[in-house]
Formats: sequence, C-alpha cells, structure tokens
Amino acid sequence: MNEDLRHHLGSLFAGAGVTGCLHAIDLDNGREAGLGADTPVLMASAFKLPLVLALFRAADTGLADLAGQVRLEPGTRTSGPTGIGAMTGPVTMTLRDLAHQALSVSDNAAADAIADHIGLGALTATAEAAGMAATRIAEICRDVAARTAASLGTTDPAQLTRLLTDPAALSRLATLDLTASNRTTARDCTTLLAGIWKDTAASPGSCSAIRHLLSLQVWPHRLASGFPFDDVRVAGKTGTLPTVRNEIGVVEYPDGGRYAIAVFTRSAATALNLPRADAVIGTAARTAVEYLRRG
Amino acid sequence: MDLVQHLRYFIAVAEELHFGRAAARLHMSQPPLSQRIQRLERELGIRLFDRSPRQVTLTEAGRLLLPEAREILSRVEPILSLASRMNAATSTVLRAGVPPHLEGDSIAALLGAFRESSPHTALDLRESTTSAQHQALGSGELDIGVLQLPFLAAGLVIGPVVHRPLGVLVAADGPLAEPASELLLSDLGGHDLVTFPRPAAPARYDEILDTCARHGYHPPAVHEADGGSFTAGLVLSGTAVAFGPETAPPHTGVVWRRLAGQPLAERLAVTWPKEQPHSGTAAFARAVTQVLGSGHAPAPEPRSRPASDFLAIPHGVLDE
Repeated sequence: MNEDLRHHLGSLFAGAGVTGCLHAIDLDNGREAGLGADTPVLMASAFKLPLVLALFRAADTGLADLAGQVRLEPGTRTSGPTGIGAMTGPVTMTLRDLAHQALSVSDNAAADAIADHIGLGALTATAEAAGMAATRIAEICRDVAARTAASLGTTDPAQLTRLLTDPAALSRLATLDLTASNRTTARDCTTLLAGIWKDTAASPGSCSAIRHLLSLQVWPHRLASGFPFDDVRVAGKTGTLPTVRNEIGVVEYPDGGRYAIAVFTRSAATALNLPRADAVIGTAARTAVEYLRRG
Repeated sequence: MDLVQHLRYFIAVAEELHFGRAAARLHMSQPPLSQRIQRLERELGIRLFDRSPRQVTLTEAGRLLLPEAREILSRVEPILSLASRMNAATSTVLRAGVPPHLEGDSIAALLGAFRESSPHTALDLRESTTSAQHQALGSGELDIGVLQLPFLAAGLVIGPVVHRPLGVLVAADGPLAEPASELLLSDLGGHDLVTFPRPAAPARYDEILDTCARHGYHPPAVHEADGGSFTAGLVLSGTAVAFGPETAPPHTGVVWRRLAGQPLAERLAVTWPKEQPHSGTAAFARAVTQVLGSGHAPAPEPRSRPASDFLAIPHGVLDE
C-alpha cells in the first residue's frame, strides 16, 4: 500500500481533529487503499446495513415477506432522532419500507422492528456469510439506549443531552467500549459493500434493492461531501455515537468506476456539531478514490 | 551494636582466615572490618581470632561460636528478606504528567500536597504536552496525567476536571490595557494571536481558534510559541495578544485582562488508564483538585439536531 497516501490520509484526519480508519477498494480490479483497515472500530448505525441485508436474505429464502405489514406503537417501539423513532402516533408499514426508513434516515424504530422480525441470529449469520470475519454484532438500537442511560446514571432527557458532550461522562460511557459494543473493521465493511454491489451477498434483486435504498440516504455532510458532482452517485450509510462519526458506502463515477469505501473516525472534541470531522470523511474518501483512479 | 551484622563479619573472617579477602567478600575495606571484629570481641568479652602478621586463626572460643553464628543467621535471613519484599511492594513511584504552561507555584504545591498525603509513594512529575501525555498514558510510560481537554478518551478514565478562566495578556502601553471592566474577544481584532503549537494539544488549539472566530476575533496571524519569553516578547511589541490564566504577568510591560463571560475557560482533566490504574491515582487526583481547585465554567446547553444521527439517544431525549 502506498506510504504517501497513508501519510496524506493521516494528516487529513489529524487536521480535522480526529483519528481515522479507512479502507477503499476498486470494485472492478480489486485495487485497494487504506489506513488502519483492520483496526477494530465502533460500528454505530452502520450495523443497519447488514441488518437490512439480513432481512432481504430472509425474504430470498421465504423466511420473511417484505410486503408484510408491521404495526409500531409509540410506547413500545425504540425512539430516535429521525423517522418513526421521532414520531408520536402508531405507524403501520411494510418491512420493505421499514428497511427504507432504517437506511435512508437511520430510523432506530424501523431498525429494531426489522431485528425483532428476523432475530439477532439472522443478523450475525448474515455478517458472517458476507465475509465480515472481524465483525461482532450483538445488540440493536434499544440495547445501546439502555446501556447509555445505565452508564450515565440518569434518564432525565436534559441531563443526558448535557452528559453526552461531557468528556468525563463520555470516558465512562459503556457504548464507546469496543469490547462491549458492535464492532467491525473498515475492510469488513468494504467486503460487505462489495458483496452487495456484485450480487453475491443476496439475490441479484435483493442486492439491487439495497443499493437503491443506500442511494436514498439523506445526509450530505460526510461521504457525499467529498464528491460534489452531479454525475457521481454516492450510496452510503452513516453511523454516529458521541465522538464517533462513520460512513460506509459506494461511489460510482460516470466512466463506470465503482469504489467501496469505509471511513471510521473518533474525534477528540465532544461537541455535537463538528463540521470538520464530518467533512474529512468525504475528503479522505475522495483522496483514496483518486489514488485508486490514478491506477 | 547490630549483632546480626557483626556476626556476618565474624563468619566471613572465620571462613577466609584472612582480613583482606573477607573484606573483599563483604564489599568493604579492611580497616573498618578489623574495627568491627574488635568491637564484637569487646562486646562478647572474648577473643575470637589469634592474629599474627602472617596468619589469622580462630581461637577455641571462636571455633565454638562459629556454628552458633551460622545458625542465628540462617534463622534471621528469611525474616529480613520477607521484610525487604514487603517494603518493595509498598514504596512505589507514581509517574505523573503536567502541562507545560502550569505555573511554578502550582507545581510546588502539588508536589507538597501529594507528599503529605502519600509519604510512601515517590512522585515522578514530568512536564509534558497533552499529546505527549496522551501517548504515554496509552503506552504505559505514564501512570496519570493532567491534560487539556478535549482529547480522545478511549481506554482512559477522565477524573476530576479543573476549570480555569483564561484572560488576555496585552501590552501595558497599548490601547487594550486601558482601564475598562472586561474585554470582549471581538475587542482583540487586528492583533495577532500567540498560542502553543497545535501539535501540543490539537483539539484544544482548534477549540480556541473556533471560539475566537465565533466571537468575532479573527487574528491576522497566529504565532505558535513554545516558550513564555517569546510569547511575552510578541505581546510586549504591541502587535499580538496571548491567552492565559490570571497569574502574575510574565513581564512588567505586559498586563492581564479579564475576558467577559469566560468564553475560553480551560479544562484540565486528571486522567489515567482504564486498565490497572496505579495505587496512587486517587491521592494524586485529590492533590490536583486541592491545589488547582475544581472551578466551574459555564457549559453550553447542547441542542441536538437530527443530522447528528446519534445511534440510540435514550428514549425521550429528543422529544422537544
């Protein structure tokens, strides 16, 4: 792997106040680039991609019906900042649309409803089948929420929000402990994406549907920010925890070039708004892609 | 008289039958060994050796005493070795880091407070930047540190946090030194800023410059300085300002001015490794807060946005 590139990536991350792990691979010729590609990292909401893949694989084998309707009640479903998780009334939706919510806006309620439908076992089996050898997925959104409240010792909303930016509180936050949380590596995630783009992770129809859902993600501030071109398609899934900012995705150029990229960062600052930390995910990804495109 | 030690001398001479060789074996010189044997003989009231210029021989009393002396030593050795092992286990060294800009009297007070509370722990205090301490805590070269927040806390425990308001050092003969209640960051416009080098504490450096920009101070140039005298020189010249805690100004031509609203309060965090913390951790943390106080700075009230995309903020946190 190119030392200059690794040095360049390292200084980009340092300049943005983060430490970062990155892996990028050219989906057609297998050329790769990276920094800390095999370092264990916190997965955060990026686990929703193998979760949705597990749902589509279950549908492929007749174990799940994507058109089947699920009713989510406000009192019992998982809450979150977006989608159904942020709504107030009961919602009835198909599994296929729950997958749309989980990937396009990282809806916690939708993700946990899918996990409840297929079971955690299907999720771990999918990660294994997808070749994610260094990945461990053992919890879903509501487990993370429960462990967050337990670590910080409060369920008072105002106090929790304050503690989530308090460095001392974050240093004892169990959900930031790699050994106790869903973890993966940048390489495992590009392996997962490659399977979805090469139609080997599930049936071709399912892979195509997941690719479409990933391209509907609304967030422009991370991976997509590095590719501000109308003729470049960016399909990705973010993941965020206090000080953790991730995105995994595929960038497709008009000349046919396709690159799977996974970027995982940890910021020193605990502020909720760190635009440089978000943007460096795009800048670092672009740097790696340009390296791969130079051939 | 230390009887056990003197019996050791006696055994060595009795076995070597030569004062020079016995002294060499005991890693000492011959005259003190001779004196100590004489002292032992006086204490016991018997002669142990017959000395002639050419040879040394045991007396009858010496021959009788030798096995008894060996017996006593064989019983004493285990007691001494156990005691020395216990001493080694309880007297330890605590390797601790403090940031380079900490004032001299604070460091002296810190050493004193720790010595008082933990007389059996030697404090190995090192001046070191936040970045260097962070790295040393991770590699096990440091047991505890005082670091400038923010920094990545993975694998570390952040203990007590000391909040210190920062003001501005300005030239005493310049317009910023004119008596007024407090300065605003935006009042500094036009002056360069002197600060520590970014690699010393990158996130704190960014935090300072972001705060300046937010409050309307856009320094035309930022000078990174390691030492206090270079900083003082740039400030003295009237072209630059620097941020620092309220202490005696470093130079007579420099004055310290308060900043309204404490926008730049510094947070110093006592920090140690999560795994196997040193036994002196709590005492050092107490000494730091005792010396520096804990203080309190106004913390911003965070307002979450959906794009923060936090995975699973607990139920209800975002129901606003």
